[in-house]
Amino acid sequence: MINTILAKLNRAFESRIRLGIMSILSVNESADFNTMKQLLEVTDGNLASHLKALEGIEYIQSSKQFVGRKPNTTYMVTENGRRSFKEHLDALEELMK
Amino acid sequence: MNKQIEDIKAIREMMEKSSKFLSLSGLSGVLAGITAIAGAAFAYFYLLRDPSLTDYNRSQELSILFADAMAVLLISVGFGIYFSRKKARKNGQKLFSALTWRTFYNLGIPLLTGGIFSLIFLLRGDIQLVISATLIFYGLALFNVSKYTYREVQYLGLTEIVLGLIAAVFMQQGLLFWTIGFGVCHIIYGLAMYYKYDRKNE
Repeated sequence: MINTILAKLNRAFESRIRLGIMSILSVNESADFNTMKQLLEVTDGNLASHLKALEGIEYIQSSKQFVGRKPNTTYMVTENGRRSFKEHLDALEELMK
Repeated sequence: MNKQIEDIKAIREMMEKSSKFLSLSGLSGVLAGITAIAGAAFAYFYLLRDPSLTDYNRSQELSILFADAMAVLLISVGFGIYFSRKKARKNGQKLFSALTWRTFYNLGIPLLTGGIFSLIFLLRGDIQLVISATLIFYGLALFNVSKYTYREVQYLGLTEIVLGLIAAVFMQQGLLFWTIGFGVCHIIYGLAMYYKYDRKNE
């Protein structure tokens, strides 16, 4: 029984940082790199690699603008990402019962 | 199993931290309340209790009341920024983020509308209506902004709205309701928030 629920947990969300990214993006329309970095208290490289991974499996999408001459990347959750995150949360909740 | 419990905790915390402005300190509410009572006391004892004690004409009286109200507003906002900045720094956050602007935008629109509306009626000399309008618009602004900050703010908002409506009915006691709304309620609410959220972090 436990094993079938555990199987529903999404391996893509094993990292706490990825959970954090998905949490932020699921309650905000969008968030930029620096905001997330500040909230999650992680290094640039660490955050960038997790964002890249989530973008690779199309759970989030990014768009780059320039603020003056500085590039600023904004992230949004995709439909697919929202659904997967919700399924993951449901599985976590089920485990708690 | 422990990892999953910790995961849920982290998710919840991140959702709240990223979507709500939580740097507002309870102490700024207390200070705003004290300032409002001082401002109301000045207006009452210096001008309104017995207009024959001073020989200001009507428009001078209105200017003094306006300056008094502005002083209360500026001092309260000043304390608010001071204590919020202190709290934000302690929590390792920046006071001004995208979230802060969104919070102030949602607070500011009803508040600014009420401010202009009140100013128009103050210029017409209708002080009673101004008292009621400031309470009502302030309450609506708080109610609106509560989505982006502590949920409890909505109860303060509802209280201010009710007091504003009562003040509209009992116009002669307007200043009393204003003092309760901006003074007493702020102090009670500020203390409650301080003990609930701020003190345990000190």
